[in-house]
Amino acid sequence: MARPDSEIFVGGSKPAQQWRVRQPYGPKLILGLLFAAVLLALSARHTQIDKMLVMTAEWAAQIVGLRPSSEVGKGAKRFADTAFPLVFHEEAPVSRIEKFDRNNLPWLSHLETRTVESARYDFDRNEMVADFEKQEFLVKPVGYLVYVCEKMIETLEMALWATLLSIVISLPLAYFGARNYSPNRFTYSASRLTSSFLRAMPELVAALFLVLMYGFGPIAGVLALGLHCAGFFGKFYADDIENAERGPQEALIATGAGKLAVLRYAVIPQVLPQYIAYTQYILERNVRMATVIGVVGAGGIGIELKGRFDMFDFGHVSTILLVIFLTVLGLERISQWLRKRIIR
Amino acid sequence: MLNFNQCGKTFADGTVALRDVSLEVPRGQFCVLLGPSGAGKTTLLRAVNGLTSLTTGDVELDGVALNRHTLGKIRRRVAMVHQQFNLVGRLNVMENVLSGSLGDVPAWRALTGLFDSRLRRKVCGLLQDVGLAESHVYKRASELSGGQQQRVAIARAFIMEPVLVLADEPVASLDMSISATILELLRDASAKRNTTVLCTLHQVELARQFADRVIGMRDGTVVYDGPPSGLCGEALDLIYDKRAEVEISSRRTAVDVLAPNAIAV
Repeated sequence: MARPDSEIFVGGSKPAQQWRVRQPYGPKLILGLLFAAVLLALSARHTQIDKMLVMTAEWAAQIVGLRPSSEVGKGAKRFADTAFPLVFHEEAPVSRIEKFDRNNLPWLSHLETRTVESARYDFDRNEMVADFEKQEFLVKPVGYLVYVCEKMIETLEMALWATLLSIVISLPLAYFGARNYSPNRFTYSASRLTSSFLRAMPELVAALFLVLMYGFGPIAGVLALGLHCAGFFGKFYADDIENAERGPQEALIATGAGKLAVLRYAVIPQVLPQYIAYTQYILERNVRMATVIGVVGAGGIGIELKGRFDMFDFGHVSTILLVIFLTVLGLERISQWLRKRIIR
Repeated sequence: MLNFNQCGKTFADGTVALRDVSLEVPRGQFCVLLGPSGAGKTTLLRAVNGLTSLTTGDVELDGVALNRHTLGKIRRRVAMVHQQFNLVGRLNVMENVLSGSLGDVPAWRALTGLFDSRLRRKVCGLLQDVGLAESHVYKRASELSGGQQQRVAIARAFIMEPVLVLADEPVASLDMSISATILELLRDASAKRNTTVLCTLHQVELARQFADRVIGMRDGTVVYDGPPSGLCGEALDLIYDKRAEVEISSRRTAVDVLAPNAIAV
């Protein structure tokens, strides 16, 4: 039995024809858009957007046959010409291999004898002469591919540990950064600030410094990625804790449960699907980042990539790119499948 | 057993929810708080386990006043049933009922989820009592119907053998046919254990049917306190009136006039 409404408000005194109706696009919006267009035009000059358009147009014209050549086309051709065939094999003269055991060759390898031509300066005749000598080579047909795959696995391990590290660091950040669980305003601000700081530090910059501190190798990479992602997790986990449905938490608080128990039973089950989604995204992202972070010497396949690129070994570079590409693609499929199984 | 001493509550936005309410609820009583929305029923209920803090006055349970130090102890003895059930949808029924015991089990058991197997047995018993079957035990709470969810919530409320159950509009989200069943379950479960129930309702019919005692509230004051049989004409007008704009003080005298047979407390 509800209290009946005492009166119902009907319309008003103004006739409907005189009501103010708002226009969908006001003068403010139009002026704002114009202003934004001017700013974009100015910044396009700085970033050479105009040149980009011209170059791309020339390239497109070359492709359809309107121009004989273009700058972009030349660059692409230079890479494409040397990128193929992909280099899978590896070979080394037997004479340069330490402790070579002829009777116990490595897996999937064979010996080849070739005549090698080398140039030598003959001082007597005062000219360059060609020397021919027979040299034995140890050839591994898929040796380089195996090496790249090993490096890729190391990269994956880096990504995995970076993700684990970031989760461990972010758990306290999330707890103290959630307004409704943080003990006081100081802990709240401190952990939110820490999260922002970690997030704001680009991995590659962090890796540069960490390489100085920990030396070349995967430690710097794992730390750089882990710290950056801890900031990301710290923020997103905390936001989710704050936004979790209040009712179930209140029900458990009413039973006298402690804060951690309420978190464990009323919050974590609610936010878990979201957490898993973040974690998977970060893991995928860490794999991609771990491949490039080696460029500054922080371990993984990036070191090899940079080295080969600098030596113009584009055949090797293509092999590395192929492996990275397939790995990332495969991981994405696996993680989609996993997600379907875990989150129901 | 449960005493409200001159309880008053003014919210931060200036809304006055309770004005000087004093009540005593004896052990084992099924006491219904009746009134329109905004009457202060829920605030009064939530003051008992400290989910809402009072501006003035205090609440005592068995002579222990609720304060910062006794809060945990009192919460462990008082259970609550909510309008929106407040189960954790992604946890199964077993876990939801077990979560009612979190205040009582050691922290390591609570956090690892390794509850005593006797407690799990007890959960099964409770679930059977509220009319759920074995097939429901490991279903997710979100897969159950509203009525089933409230059954689970009642089982959760009784797992710690509370001396008092607070039921905040336990049937407001359910349709009429299930409402009576749920209230019956609540009444039987509490009668069996001699548990006191403080239950807010807004349907007069249900109050008549289930209450030992009805406390009518309006605008933060008690305007009726007596047996459900006294809920007729004038008493209902006092609770839900729109005509008699009587002053609060005169309402209080009306209580004495209208409910001379109020259950002795």
